[in-house]
Amino acid sequence: MKISKEEVHYIAKLAKLHLTEEEADKMTEDFEKILSNFDAIRGVDVEGIMGETFKTTEAPHLRKDEERVFEDKKKLFQNTLDLKEGYIKVPKIIE
Amino acid sequence: MTITIDAIKSAIEGGERLTEEIILQFYKRIEEREPEVNGFLTLCRDEALERARSIDQKRKKGEKLGRLAGVPVAIKDNISTDGMKTTCASRMLEDYIPPYDATVIKKLWDEDAIIIGKTNMDEFAMGSSNENSAFKVTSNPWDTKRVPGGSSGGSAAVVAAEMSVMSLGSDTGGSIRQPAAFCGVVGLKPTYGLVSRFGLIAFASSLDQIGPITRTVKDSAISLEVLQGHDPMDSTSYKGEASSYLESLEKGVKGLRMAVPKEFFHTKGLDPEIADSIRASIERYERLGAIVEEVSLPLMEESLAAYYLISSAEASSNLARFDGVRYGYRTKEYEKIEELMEKSRSEAFGKEVKRRIMMGTYALSSGYYDAYYNKAQKLRKIISLQYQEIFKDYDLIISPTTPILPFLKGEKTNDPLEMYLGDIYTININLAELPALSMPCGFSKEGLPIGLQLIGNHYSEATLLRAAHQLEQEIGLKSPIRKEEV
Repeated sequence: MKISKEEVHYIAKLAKLHLTEEEADKMTEDFEKILSNFDAIRGVDVEGIMGETFKTTEAPHLRKDEERVFEDKKKLFQNTLDLKEGYIKVPKIIE
Repeated sequence: MTITIDAIKSAIEGGERLTEEIILQFYKRIEEREPEVNGFLTLCRDEALERARSIDQKRKKGEKLGRLAGVPVAIKDNISTDGMKTTCASRMLEDYIPPYDATVIKKLWDEDAIIIGKTNMDEFAMGSSNENSAFKVTSNPWDTKRVPGGSSGGSAAVVAAEMSVMSLGSDTGGSIRQPAAFCGVVGLKPTYGLVSRFGLIAFASSLDQIGPITRTVKDSAISLEVLQGHDPMDSTSYKGEASSYLESLEKGVKGLRMAVPKEFFHTKGLDPEIADSIRASIERYERLGAIVEEVSLPLMEESLAAYYLISSAEASSNLARFDGVRYGYRTKEYEKIEELMEKSRSEAFGKEVKRRIMMGTYALSSGYYDAYYNKAQKLRKIISLQYQEIFKDYDLIISPTTPILPFLKGEKTNDPLEMYLGDIYTININLAELPALSMPCGFSKEGLPIGLQLIGNHYSEATLLRAAHQLEQEIGLKSPIRKEEV
């Protein structure tokens, strides 16, 4: 066993997902197979290879962090479901 | 005559046809063929016709027309279009309308292209068959019982069915090349950074790249010339000089050094008809004067693991933004904020997206980070270096695009791992940030298209397109549906 159903539920919680018991069973089964396949990488010798240096093209370059105003506020909020006085409404966070 | 960018542009410039007429003709064809193909999620007929009329006005006034004047273009539905729904084929973004255009969309407008609609895809670009779309399953125009491939399946299918001349796709592990192979069209994944990703809804940011799908290699070259270029809005955008590709297309391949990795032909599950077709193309290249030699590129299965670990890890992070708070789907009943997020995400994400988010969260979670994610990153470096080693001696690598022919709808939906194995030839290219192109090179006995993949070194798209063009001229094209004059 590579992974238990309890672990699957725990990972779901971290990922802010809720799985039904049925979904969790299927996910555990899929994970089992996928992780067995992924174990192929455990045997590869990566000695001396530094992480985070995979890039072989040029490194990212950052532009100046300059403020720009998005003029059309109506457009900016066109996808917001619950808006009140220019603020997005969410349930109470602090009691 | 096959419908190409050049044909349309010269018909408009020469005054033989009005842009409006041409676009109307494409919509007529969409009306006829779309019920069977199901490639589009949104059509924008009124806007397209208005744009067409403005191009006709421009011509009348004697103004210079853009490089894609009057050319119908279909856009994968994960590329942001100002004022037009961009859903990623997900319930999560079912009603989402971006307030801005992706950089590539601006470039299309600047060159007088005409966007005709948004195309179907696997949800958030995760999948290889378009069966993961929340809205519909696109059919392969060559055999409508079969899948068009994915994730840019809609984009490939609408070009194959001549409902569009060009389309945009995105490629994270083969999502432009595999559907191009399945649908018998040309799909190009440029070098990482060559085309701006600004406005592309991210799946795995270090692997994603936008590219064109067209019917001919020449159209691919024209499209890439338009799409490429530095963009300050994308920190990974290439700052080097933009190359032109058209002028070198006609140069032959004499003396070009091409490598064939022997492991690619010993892959479990490689369809013998595909292997034969690729070998026949290799012989054609040799007859054209190229030097083809066998090389070794091991680590096939390991790289598949590295790819799925890295892409899922990045996806789990990128998709964290969809929480039902600011935009996107929001669940109907909730009390606390945690419940709002959890329920919104669980109700709106499809099965495959959840599986990838879970896989990525697992790979990044404490205790597994070093065993999986960190190791996968190091493996990525090793794979990149292996390719660099080959490019010291060779100009291009030839391989199949996919080990399998277009499969039947529903055939592989129950086994995610089997579906993942179909990406074996394409994922390495994204890990190594290389450019690659898939082009039709033949047909199976049943008449299904076979794709050949050409892989180049970073920023060597000119060589890639030239070699592809030369082979295409040797083979000739075949259309899935009756050809019509523009």
